[in-house]
Amino acid sequence: MTANKKAPSWDKLHDWFVEKLAAHDNGVQSQGQGAEGMSHPDFTEPPPPKADYQIFLENASRTMIRFKKPEHLIKMIVKTIDEQLKVTHTAVLLYREEKRSYILIDSKGSEGLKIPIGFVRLPVDNPLISIFSEKQTYLISETGILRYEDLINALRNRDILEKQPDLYDKLLLLKRQMDLVKASLCVPCYFKRDLLGILILGEKVSGDAFTREEMGFFVTLANDAAMAIANAQLIENLHQKVEEIKGLYLREHRIFIHTAIALAAAIDARDQYTHGHTERVTNYCLALAKELEGLPEIANYKNFRETLQIAALLHDIGKIGIPDHILNKHSRLTPEEYEEIKKHSTIGATILNPIKELSDVAREVRHHQECYDGSGYPDGLKGSGIPLIARIIAVADAFDAMTTNRSYRKGKSAEEAVQELKRCSGTQFDSVIVSAFLLAYEKGNILTNGKQQYLFNGNNEAKDEF
Amino acid sequence: MRKILVVDDEHDICDFVRNFFQERGYSVLTALTGEDAIEIAKKEKPELILLDIKMKGMDGIAALKHIKEANRLQKVIMITALEDQGKMDEASRLGACDYITKPLMLDYLEHAVEKNLKVSL
Repeated sequence: MTANKKAPSWDKLHDWFVEKLAAHDNGVQSQGQGAEGMSHPDFTEPPPPKADYQIFLENASRTMIRFKKPEHLIKMIVKTIDEQLKVTHTAVLLYREEKRSYILIDSKGSEGLKIPIGFVRLPVDNPLISIFSEKQTYLISETGILRYEDLINALRNRDILEKQPDLYDKLLLLKRQMDLVKASLCVPCYFKRDLLGILILGEKVSGDAFTREEMGFFVTLANDAAMAIANAQLIENLHQKVEEIKGLYLREHRIFIHTAIALAAAIDARDQYTHGHTERVTNYCLALAKELEGLPEIANYKNFRETLQIAALLHDIGKIGIPDHILNKHSRLTPEEYEEIKKHSTIGATILNPIKELSDVAREVRHHQECYDGSGYPDGLKGSGIPLIARIIAVADAFDAMTTNRSYRKGKSAEEAVQELKRCSGTQFDSVIVSAFLLAYEKGNILTNGKQQYLFNGNNEAKDEF
Repeated sequence: MRKILVVDDEHDICDFVRNFFQERGYSVLTALTGEDAIEIAKKEKPELILLDIKMKGMDGIAALKHIKEANRLQKVIMITALEDQGKMDEASRLGACDYITKPLMLDYLEHAVEKNLKVSL
């Protein structure tokens, strides 16, 4: 097969690598299928010479830094060291905040030497950890690696024994820890100044010492692993923050909507003849607005649906400023009383204006009694000069006023009210809005029995926005 | 030579712990199931048993019960994950002499075995 002779391309190497990793994760061996060359014939040959696997690993690990799960990179490092360097065993311990310990998360090695995954931990005050985290410089070579060989030499050094008994004792404790895990080399994984983990290596099966080149290589791998872990933690923290903020926003938003609902309920409670008016008008507005989707004017609002909902809830809030004897009068209003009632839209806007977040809503409340032909109040605005939401509320408001009973008259049927809207379409009301209302009505979405679709029903009004 | 029995349904753990204590001069038997552990305990009469709680099939608690019924004086150290606190209490009622939580410190594992063997002298 000529493919075997070809120099492997990095792309293929990487693919092969990821595949191996996946197989490793699933506990499946990607080899032994009896179909040589089935996937990547380049690698059915014996392992490439050392320089090749080093370049290969370095490249692969650079790529893997971008992987979401640093565990994959760590498994790959452990596996490759085990396969290519022929050491008795390899293990990686990572810091786990909740246990204040370094936990063994991956390992390889021959029977009895492989330290079982998840079986062992080293607490932060363990000498094998503190020698790195406290940055004690004795014994640690310029590469940052701790070698068992150096430790033994230091313990044989009479100077240390005689002049620095404290250090000697410390070294003895360190030796005991290295003996427990049979470590020949310990390579720290630092990110900035934090010790994120350590890589533990047993002896080479051949009994040879590790070369300088190999140790330099371990340091590179350890740094890459640290970078990958730090990145993953950063991303994890970021996700948590986003969720937190989202939660806070949702909560605030919910409180906000519920405050508006409470205010609306307060207005309704006071006006005994229009009981449930606000709720029905809001429902009509939202049902009607569904039929307006795609209307270019909607884009003028930062959050159209929410502004509409709040404006509809609060459109009559100005009635708070109207005396009871007028608001709850049993007979027809005199012209003077009617003038008084008309003030409710400006009073409402005045109430809402100081709330910066509701300035949009205040404008809609002010104009919800304007007529399309300019005959309304308070400003006599005309056509598209009237804000869109105010035009919507005007239709919904009128429909509810017509279909509910007053002390001085019986309410119209829905069908009669619809005919009245049609008649006034283009004069009192915007014909586009009336058409949308008719559409919603025909679809059965205008429910005069006041079915509580959008109000007082828990959390859906806030959730809808997300 | 002091004889101990290691019971865990994970091969890696049995192998590692056996090797660990053999190097420290112990004679080490292993069992991968609760049933085997009961048999070996009867036949070999180890001085001490390291018994994992969470095992497939018969778990460590059930095995402990049988072992203790056969030999009330048998020393058993339970090995468990932190979350098994309820089971730990049960184990100590059934007469386990000590427990170690995973992930463990190897020096503590060594110390726990030594300590509990010394008591019998």
